[in-house]
Amino acid sequence: MIDEEIVDFALDYARSKKIEYAEIRAQSQVQDRLTLRNGGLEAYVSSVDSGFCVRIMAKGGIGFASTNKWSKEEAKEIVELAFSYATSANRKEKLAFEEEKGVKTKWAVDQKEKIEDISPEQRISSFTDVDKALATCGVKVVATMTQCMIDLTTKYFVNSEGSRISSFVPKIGAFIFITVAEEGKTEQAYQQFGYSGGWEAFKKWNVPEEMIHNAKVLKDVITKAKPVKAGNMDLICGPRVTGIAAHESCGHPMEADRILGREMSQAGRSFIYKGGPYWVGTRIGSDAVTVVDDPTVEHSYGYYAFDDEGVKARRRFLYKEGVINEFLHNRESAAKLDTRSNGSSRSVNYDREAIVRMANTFVLPGKHTEEELIEGVKYGVYMKSFTEWNIDDKRFNQRYVGREAYLIENGKLSHPVARPVIETTTPKFWKAVDAVSKSVEYEAATCGKGDPGQGVPVYTGGPCLRLRGVYVK
Amino acid sequence: MSDILNKTEDIVSKAKSMGADEVIAKTTFGKYRQVRFSNNQVDITVAWNDYVTDLALAWKKRVVATQIHNFRDVDSSVKHLLELAKVSKENPMFGGFAKGTFKYRASKADKTLENLEDPTEYVFEAISAAEKEAGSKVDSGGILFTRFEDVYLASSEGPVGVDSRSAIELSIRAFSEREASGHGVECSSTLKDFKPTLAGQKAGEIAKLAKNPKVGEEGVYDVIFDPLIFGSSLGVWGGMVSAFYVMIQMSVFVDKLGKKVAPDIVTMKDNPAAYSMSNRVFDDEGVPTKDNVFIDHGVLKTFLHNTSTAKMFKTETTGNAGLVAPNPWNIEMEAGNTKKDELFEETKKGLYLTNTWYTRFQNYAKGDFSTIPRDGIFLINNGEPKQSLKDLRISDNALTMLSNIAGISKERQHVHWWGEADPPSLSPYVLVKNVNLTKSK
Repeated sequence: MIDEEIVDFALDYARSKKIEYAEIRAQSQVQDRLTLRNGGLEAYVSSVDSGFCVRIMAKGGIGFASTNKWSKEEAKEIVELAFSYATSANRKEKLAFEEEKGVKTKWAVDQKEKIEDISPEQRISSFTDVDKALATCGVKVVATMTQCMIDLTTKYFVNSEGSRISSFVPKIGAFIFITVAEEGKTEQAYQQFGYSGGWEAFKKWNVPEEMIHNAKVLKDVITKAKPVKAGNMDLICGPRVTGIAAHESCGHPMEADRILGREMSQAGRSFIYKGGPYWVGTRIGSDAVTVVDDPTVEHSYGYYAFDDEGVKARRRFLYKEGVINEFLHNRESAAKLDTRSNGSSRSVNYDREAIVRMANTFVLPGKHTEEELIEGVKYGVYMKSFTEWNIDDKRFNQRYVGREAYLIENGKLSHPVARPVIETTTPKFWKAVDAVSKSVEYEAATCGKGDPGQGVPVYTGGPCLRLRGVYVK
Repeated sequence: MSDILNKTEDIVSKAKSMGADEVIAKTTFGKYRQVRFSNNQVDITVAWNDYVTDLALAWKKRVVATQIHNFRDVDSSVKHLLELAKVSKENPMFGGFAKGTFKYRASKADKTLENLEDPTEYVFEAISAAEKEAGSKVDSGGILFTRFEDVYLASSEGPVGVDSRSAIELSIRAFSEREASGHGVECSSTLKDFKPTLAGQKAGEIAKLAKNPKVGEEGVYDVIFDPLIFGSSLGVWGGMVSAFYVMIQMSVFVDKLGKKVAPDIVTMKDNPAAYSMSNRVFDDEGVPTKDNVFIDHGVLKTFLHNTSTAKMFKTETTGNAGLVAPNPWNIEMEAGNTKKDELFEETKKGLYLTNTWYTRFQNYAKGDFSTIPRDGIFLINNGEPKQSLKDLRISDNALTMLSNIAGISKERQHVHWWGEADPPSLSPYVLVKNVNLTKSK
């Protein structure tokens, strides 16, 4: 599906021009998408998409062009387009990439149960069985919507510095949304699952058990939960809440392209900027808080060995013991801030520019058990999972609304709490953390950024966090 | 290009001859250009040349689909799809693809957009306009995007059509200070009606007014929504009238058909008209598109349908078919009889909001949500937007806000913006009473 000869030809053709840099990134994606509504299969979409893009830097500008027509004539045409765009950018401040040595390698993610060997019937029945389990779980589940995403992605990357990288990554993901109705009221929940690897993921996920648990939680929210009396109190965040906070108020503001303003009109800028109150070395949280972004977590949804600029992936320490430590960089942002890329450049397909992205963002574990965290709370809330959430575009003011949540009284869990809300700032949230539990859990998510939008697979996660004296309503 | 239509029809014939009951094929040749800019400079210019045939077929009520990116792959793709259909599950709700032969109105796509290779000059027009309003130190970023598509559709059930679709949009956000910004958009289906200067002016005007913001206070406010931010709300309500989202309860309009959901002054329709960025003469089943009034003087009149959902609801398709779910194309809010300035004059104390992002729901069926206003947020005092504010969040309910609409301007703007104001809409200035705003503590 990828014609390496055409890719190599395109690179040679680009090199024949007065360029500072050129790369060709080819991608072939076998995609299956299953959509189920209320337990019935709505449609099964199965496609193969393949194409390649050219990115050229010339005269300090960047041009990009892509096509899904595999011919040398087309390759020449898109090289010409990308070259003309780069040279006509007329930038006052010329762009450059930080230096990297060429890399020649092949890498792949292994599958214990090859997705290709799983029949469409089995794929479908795996998900219809989830609906059957929900129908008999003793909770009135009135609507469900399920999407299953299977992607087998092959890439071939070459650049003018001598890189030549081939890769193969199988991924499986699912998104399930349920509505529960009890006593004339409704509550809703969704859960996302994701894995890089084979069909063995489905068993690891325990989807029916997870969704039945979600349904029972929603029933309890309707029938048993009471609102919390607003005020300052202790808050324990479960791994899901920890994960979304790590993603939103650490990962995003630490993206260097955002810090430099390149996303200013869409995803926004960052509360971190040169000359501002927050920069590398500034305290943003307590000593207990270390947040990392790590693409090398094996079989994670955001796994990769080399990024889409051919830079080797590694763990990045974003907030280290409560201090702003290292931004997420691609080669362009690294050059602007006079540092090295840390392999954070990702693209969803051959027709999208690779930009600075997270992979798997999570808080590192502490020394406590979850029980110890709870025992240390006289009065507060344990927010295990969340429903509505958002954060402003400078990544400073955020809000998380609890889905599964319990009151804590004198170190013990009490009754369910109905939709407790924490609405606070990034430093207030992370500085309030006084203890961290020792077991990390991950949750799959799709991170949105870029224009046109590029939803990339990621993990969020971490241990439980205990926050002291925050305002909960 | 009739050759492409022939090839598309051949795909349908091939699938039928191999055993499919019903088949639709839609071939799109797309040419897309984009200029991304920030800090007043071009970051990257992008070109996409793309072609794809979307093929959907049904066999014994099993619905399967694929995308073909090379006409050489037709035989293998159709074979694969039929094999998939035979092991797939029946969708008892499948009501067939649209039947009949239709006459479509002529496409009014702008051919000049097909030939526009480098639209960078319009970016600089917008940047200059922002600087003119807010001063030379204003820092602007955004995108310019052009789209030209030739679309060929054939169906085994009768519809055959050719359409061309064109669009150009510019989105610019201008910062006069670190925390003072304005956002302007300019959207059109034709180059002649595209005025990038207007987007730059608007961004600059708001950015200038937004200087020295103070943290806003929590409370309940009467709010004037700018067309851009109201376009986000229209997108939310428009999405929720899709019959698919009603069926999975991701809608506040479940069980509301025929009921009053808004005041008499509110009429909304879906209309992929020629001016719109979503211009199209037929939907993905080949049904002619039309304007569909879904809220008529406050009463919910219809959901948006494809053939299958229409059969479930015992009605007719509204020409909103997408591959799986019916979609809104372009939401229009009927203009009011008040001038924009009069809306402000009537508001003695309130807020003026210009843009938002990150809208998220706790419960779609109930409608509880929050969203974060960005760019200009202004306290209105005696009819005038005065003090610039920051760090506020709308925490309210989608159905309550709809029922609290109290004023609609005569002026409307065609708006669309990344992620939030989507699908495109024709949006006025709107006064909504008693909107709940919260902030971080």
